[in-house]
Amino acid sequence: MWLKNAVKNWMGRRRAEAELDEEVRGYVEMAAEEKVRNGADARGARREAILEAGGVEQVKEQAREVRAGHFLETLWQDIRYGARMLRKAPGFTAVAVLTLALGIGANTSIFSMVDWLMLRPLPVKDAGQLTYLVAQLKSGGYENGFSFPNYDDIRNQSTSVFSNVAGVQPFQMDGLNADGKTMQIWTNYVTGNFFEMLGIKPALGRFILPSEGKVAGADPVLVLSYSYWQAHFDEDPNVIGRKVAVNGQPVTIIGIAPKGFQGALAILDTQGYLPVSMAGTTLAAKSDVLTNRQDEIGMILIGRLKPGENLLAAQPVLRVIAKRLSSQYPTIDKWSSMEARKLTAAPPSAGNSQPLPVIAGLFLFLAGMVLLLACVNVANLLLVRAGVRGREMAVRAALGAGRGRLMRQLFTESILLALLGCAGGIALGIGGSRALNSLNLGTAIPVRLDFNFNWRVFSYAFAAALLTGIVVGFVPAIRASLGNLNEVLHEAGRTATGRRQRMSSTLVVAQVAGSLMLLIVAGLFVRSLRNVQHTNLGFDPSHVLNISMDPHEAGYDSAKGARFLHDLAERVRTLPGVRSASIAATVPMGLETYGADLKIVGYEPPKDQGSIFAGENGVSPEYFETMNIPLVEGRGFLDSDEANAPHVAIINETMAKKYWRGKDTLGRQFTIVDDPAHPVQIVGVVKDSVTGSISETIGPYFYLPFTQKYIAPATLQVRTKAAPESMASGILGIIREIEPAMPTFDVQTMTKALDTINGLMLYRLGASLAALLGCLGLLLAIVGVYGVLSYAASQRTHEIGIRVALGAQRGQILKMIFRQGLLIVGVGLGVGILAALGISKMIGTLLVGIGGADPLTYAVVSTFLAIVALAACWIPARRAMKVDPMVALRYE
Amino acid sequence: MGNEQTELLQGTLDMLILKSLALGEMHGLGISRRIEQITRGTFQVKPGSLFPALHRMEEQGWLKASWGESENGRRARYYQLTRTGRKRLGSETERWSRISLAIERALEA
Repeated sequence: MWLKNAVKNWMGRRRAEAELDEEVRGYVEMAAEEKVRNGADARGARREAILEAGGVEQVKEQAREVRAGHFLETLWQDIRYGARMLRKAPGFTAVAVLTLALGIGANTSIFSMVDWLMLRPLPVKDAGQLTYLVAQLKSGGYENGFSFPNYDDIRNQSTSVFSNVAGVQPFQMDGLNADGKTMQIWTNYVTGNFFEMLGIKPALGRFILPSEGKVAGADPVLVLSYSYWQAHFDEDPNVIGRKVAVNGQPVTIIGIAPKGFQGALAILDTQGYLPVSMAGTTLAAKSDVLTNRQDEIGMILIGRLKPGENLLAAQPVLRVIAKRLSSQYPTIDKWSSMEARKLTAAPPSAGNSQPLPVIAGLFLFLAGMVLLLACVNVANLLLVRAGVRGREMAVRAALGAGRGRLMRQLFTESILLALLGCAGGIALGIGGSRALNSLNLGTAIPVRLDFNFNWRVFSYAFAAALLTGIVVGFVPAIRASLGNLNEVLHEAGRTATGRRQRMSSTLVVAQVAGSLMLLIVAGLFVRSLRNVQHTNLGFDPSHVLNISMDPHEAGYDSAKGARFLHDLAERVRTLPGVRSASIAATVPMGLETYGADLKIVGYEPPKDQGSIFAGENGVSPEYFETMNIPLVEGRGFLDSDEANAPHVAIINETMAKKYWRGKDTLGRQFTIVDDPAHPVQIVGVVKDSVTGSISETIGPYFYLPFTQKYIAPATLQVRTKAAPESMASGILGIIREIEPAMPTFDVQTMTKALDTINGLMLYRLGASLAALLGCLGLLLAIVGVYGVLSYAASQRTHEIGIRVALGAQRGQILKMIFRQGLLIVGVGLGVGILAALGISKMIGTLLVGIGGADPLTYAVVSTFLAIVALAACWIPARRAMKVDPMVALRYE
Repeated sequence: MGNEQTELLQGTLDMLILKSLALGEMHGLGISRRIEQITRGTFQVKPGSLFPALHRMEEQGWLKASWGESENGRRARYYQLTRTGRKRLGSETERWSRISLAIERALEA
């Protein structure tokens, strides 16, 4: 009925409009005639009739409002009218749309990143039901690596809340040998029920079955990811059933995972899946992985909540299981509790504080601030226009537009602006996401950045735009509704400046405050980056080339692998232009770091630490020469420190200080808990150097000869005379010559490695993002301060003219305008500093070398902003000073 | 025109319009005068309330409108009751007398 009428009204709206006019006019005419018949004079009667009726146009508008579809009809009118107004003021429209596009674009880019990290569900059945388990240790920490017996127990005991629990041993780098060549493949070793638990179907062949993976060494099968199959097997369907080798062990390819499935830990692109029962065979792991409770293989456990169950329901059940297992195996499972956390695309974290939500929240907040600043600017522009359009509004009111209608008109215009800004913002956002996508992480790990736009991102942008439109339109609309029709129509234009001015000033205070906060956060990040950049590395990264390889992948056992690496280094040393070549199990900024629990006679660890821990590395004798790490005392490694010789170690200064007070360290002994048969004697002490990621503080660290501590993958490091990149192809040639099936990875210079994900990259990224947002904020604040003061000064031209005519000095005028700006900027800075102090509490953990309340950053940034803002005040103040009283008074 | 009066008329206005049209078709001013007359001047319906009400009732299907000529030879829009409108008048009248009876009793008690 309503719809039918609405359509009918819409179709016949022209005729209806004419009829309505005729009807209401007819009414008034008849009423007038009636009055004439009663003896009134003709002109007076008509006027009286109109007054009694309350105005022809007003009556018509009231009658229109009851019509079906009236709302849509007037909305359409508003939109057309709004579009016309925007077209008529192209300068204003362009500035406003661009401002909003910047704000919305920044938000959309950042949101697409957050979406990828935290919101996007895995491409599996009911991804929302998936959780991963984290055990809380009695000592206070957390762990999320479990043993196979743990998996069995937890799965059997949690059936009340989980429909299934599967285990994944996260990331293994294996070598896949097919057709005589070896390719690198990143694999997950999974329990047999892994794919069943995820509820996905293979693109080809079959998945690992729940019945598989239960007997050590059994079920030598391999599932490939779709993209790996595409890249290395040309999508050949005949690979199913093909016999290949993983790390030299024969396996059969049984299936291809569906397209787009990157594994359950999706930030990393998993390329292959093997049953966990194969871990003992293909990896160098011990063969009893399925039964050994002690020797954890670090499986991440993924639990699927039963339909209708939620995270909260799972927690008490898991707590009971943790208590039970820890009392059953008190020396192994030292747990106080266990919890389930939602599985997202972000890597499962064992930590208590999860940094991702903090970082994501922070950047969303900063981007939100930028949008808010953009809104304030546009609101101010609209306010100025509202002043100009006061008459227009009054005329529309006189023609029968109600107060609500006028407000709606203004909101329609601001939302229209915001939607245009949204379109621009999405374009900018897509550009921004492309830039983020093309980041080169600089490691061999197949991380797939995928900040693509999807409906969530689009809805976010759209919602942001609508909100923006409402926020931006709010102030002018309120003002318009307060306006007094009569006053506006009669006055010449200098209306209600005081009120408008106060509103604008408040908005600019907010703007200065917001932009100061953005700049301070940016400043803190930039200072952190500089601190990290100036970290004393302790080694010399220039002229060093790294080439990593894992002899296991070519099917080598430990002895053969060690010999291979030794021979390789030997041959590289003979190349012209090589100063030294060495082998190390791990290199700074590398994929892996190692460490061990120690026993040291005469050293009691403090109660709260429980064990003696130090980082470890296995290196060849030339390592310290290649890395340029100076020896403080004792000797370096010798070729005589062979596998069968007494075990020896070189330690760093921190370790010497911590465990032996730095005195008489040489000749002392310690024992590695996992290898009690070989007590280790200290033969040398070297300077401290960075060994892992660049932001880690340097802890106790010891080096063993590579012959006595073989760890693979290992890295060949070459110090060259000329540019190290130029040597790479020659060295790779030698490797191929010795073993054609040896895959290599992370071929990069040490200087390059410093810029990767373990090096400066995240700091650089964080600092640039924050700085970019800060600059946007600054730009918007400058425009805001300048705009408002210029307008204020131009509105006061008349007043200034009078003041000058009455004898005010130019300097006084300058001071007057300037003081207004000073007040706004001063209050803004004060509020901004307080806001920044609040925010910095949240980000303290992300900073390096400075606190969140770093006085230098605050002082420098505030001064900078103050100078810029006052410069923005200066121009309008000077212009006001130059006002010619004659011109000003004649004006209007 | 005062909004206060409109609010007072809310609910009763529909009934008064229906009632005044019960005897035959009429144009806007006629309806207005008729209501004044039958309520002995208690209710004066201004066009700002009258026309919205007429248009609304027309859309609801209670009234039907057509153009005709007024007593002074002017083109005017005449309204007349439809079958639904007549039914509506019946139910409104019944409802109203129930209410007024109840209020009368309440005031006498």
